[in-house]
Amino acid sequence: MVPIVYNLRSLAVRKTTTLATAGGVALVVFVFAAVLMLSEGVKRTLGRSGSDDIAIVLRDGSDAELSSGIEAPQIALITAPSEVKRRGGGAPDAAAEIVAVLSLDKVGTDGQSNAQIRGVPDDVMSFRPSVRLVAGRVPRPGADEAMIGNAIRGRFRGLDMGQSFEIRKNRNLTVVGVFEDGGSSYESEIWAGRDQVQSALGRGTVVSSVRVRLRSRDVFERYQRQLQSNRQLGVDVMRESDYYAKQSEGLSIFINALGILVAFFFSVGAVIGAMITMHASVANRSREIGTLRALGFKRWQILLCFLLESSILALVGGLLGAAASLSMALVRFPMVNFASWSEIVFTFEPTPGVIIASLVVAVLMGLVGGFLPAVRAARADVLSAIRA
Amino acid sequence: MSAEPIVKLSAVNKTYFRGSESIPVLDGLDFEVPDGAFQALMGPSGSGKSTLLHLIAGLDRPTKGSVQVAGKELSKMSDAELAAFRANHIGFIFQSYNLLPVLTAQENVELPLLLTKLGRGERKTRAQTALRVVGLEERMGHYPRQLSGGQEQRVAIARAIVNDPQILVADEPTGDLDRKSADDVLELLGRLNTELKKTIVMVTHDPAAAERATVTRHLNKGALQ
Repeated sequence: MVPIVYNLRSLAVRKTTTLATAGGVALVVFVFAAVLMLSEGVKRTLGRSGSDDIAIVLRDGSDAELSSGIEAPQIALITAPSEVKRRGGGAPDAAAEIVAVLSLDKVGTDGQSNAQIRGVPDDVMSFRPSVRLVAGRVPRPGADEAMIGNAIRGRFRGLDMGQSFEIRKNRNLTVVGVFEDGGSSYESEIWAGRDQVQSALGRGTVVSSVRVRLRSRDVFERYQRQLQSNRQLGVDVMRESDYYAKQSEGLSIFINALGILVAFFFSVGAVIGAMITMHASVANRSREIGTLRALGFKRWQILLCFLLESSILALVGGLLGAAASLSMALVRFPMVNFASWSEIVFTFEPTPGVIIASLVVAVLMGLVGGFLPAVRAARADVLSAIRA
Repeated sequence: MSAEPIVKLSAVNKTYFRGSESIPVLDGLDFEVPDGAFQALMGPSGSGKSTLLHLIAGLDRPTKGSVQVAGKELSKMSDAELAAFRANHIGFIFQSYNLLPVLTAQENVELPLLLTKLGRGERKTRAQTALRVVGLEERMGHYPRQLSGGQEQRVAIARAIVNDPQILVADEPTGDLDRKSADDVLELLGRLNTELKKTIVMVTHDPAAAERATVTRHLNKGALQ
């Protein structure tokens, strides 16, 4: 085989064209990696909100909390089965919550956007032990107070410590605490007392969902069968993790489709760039190709040599693009989730899978762009090439 | 020196085609080179001497006739078979040296060995030995641009002998060199012929170069004179 050092040094000799071509590939890889990272971020943000041993109960036919409604008397029936874990005093480990969307003024723009508010029980922190206060305190029961997720803090007018916002006309809630939950979608929510939210929004005693912690993840099917077979209840039971996976599906597909489409069109440009660079390189090195052939290197070895070179060129671009895309991990990106029509702040998640996929795409671009020039090099007539 | 021909061309025709026009270069040529000979081919431009050299080296095929080199019939070989033949039996020395500019002297010399099954260490040792033979062992880390023309040609000769081929084909090996460097290169070729018993076929316009060969053959209009 032609030594790889020949390719590396040939690329290094042509610094300007190498860097320009690698830059084109880097741009595509950056876009591609960023899209995958955002898609991964959506899955993780919503995925972190869900747990396997928690079942979420919605009204039958509802695919999201926002469109669900469960009457108060049904809550006791939902939490009664033996599969539901009990707390110290024998009370079910459950949380009946109401979810609604508020239209609030965005900070930094003139527009408004939707923010999700969750009416939670007073003991919500016991039900969600992963939630941790990072500022202030939890709202006092019965008080017009709220706490907000860290991701939403400062993004809307009135959503910061000590500030207040209108839950409905002339009824304000004051922000008394800020919480974190490991980057889950809860961090993009406002939490207030369930009674306050129900009364402010005129929902009576209706809740959107009931979550129950099961004794173990294995009893889920039994619990689900039991509730869903009760036609009077009219509820749908899902694992919380499945619920959030479903919530992320639409947005994730949308991001992937849009991003991959953009990356595809960019990649056409990068592939053409790589092709032009490699064609010029083959033309300039005609005598070297002829010499290698005269020495006994076969056509396929020349083909492989130039395919390798274009792949290395693209890989350099891929590494640059992938490295640049890692900086996106610092970016927090607000998007409206199609499932809740409210804004959720997502992060770009740089996983090893994303980086590997990006580098594979880069190498593929190199192979596609380098194929025709490599064939040209391999097919060169030895005598004409030596004399060039 | 053995009298057995290592190169034997019988009734060789070579015609090039440019569109519908045919250009005959060699016409029924018979040509032999005994094993261990150092032959110079001379003749005016267009006489067919380079074409003859390319046929012997397996870089081209005859239009008609037989080309036997080192016991192999080259006229019927495929591209891949010719490539393997060149790798195993032929050492090339070009007028313009044809070193790869991004490789060091040692890496250039190692190139033919990459087509063998030798390990990295053995390849390095052999390349160093070849460079020692041409007197450039201390320049093994230099790139072609850091060498004089004469030194470049000696590196090319080291590359030509590194895998111990039976035949060296040299196409105007002193054409780009000053007299002093040319004499050094010719002396080296003479040593390779006498000491290492390499068969050498050299195309040259330089009468001084031809004098170093044991036999000088003249071609004119595709025929030996």
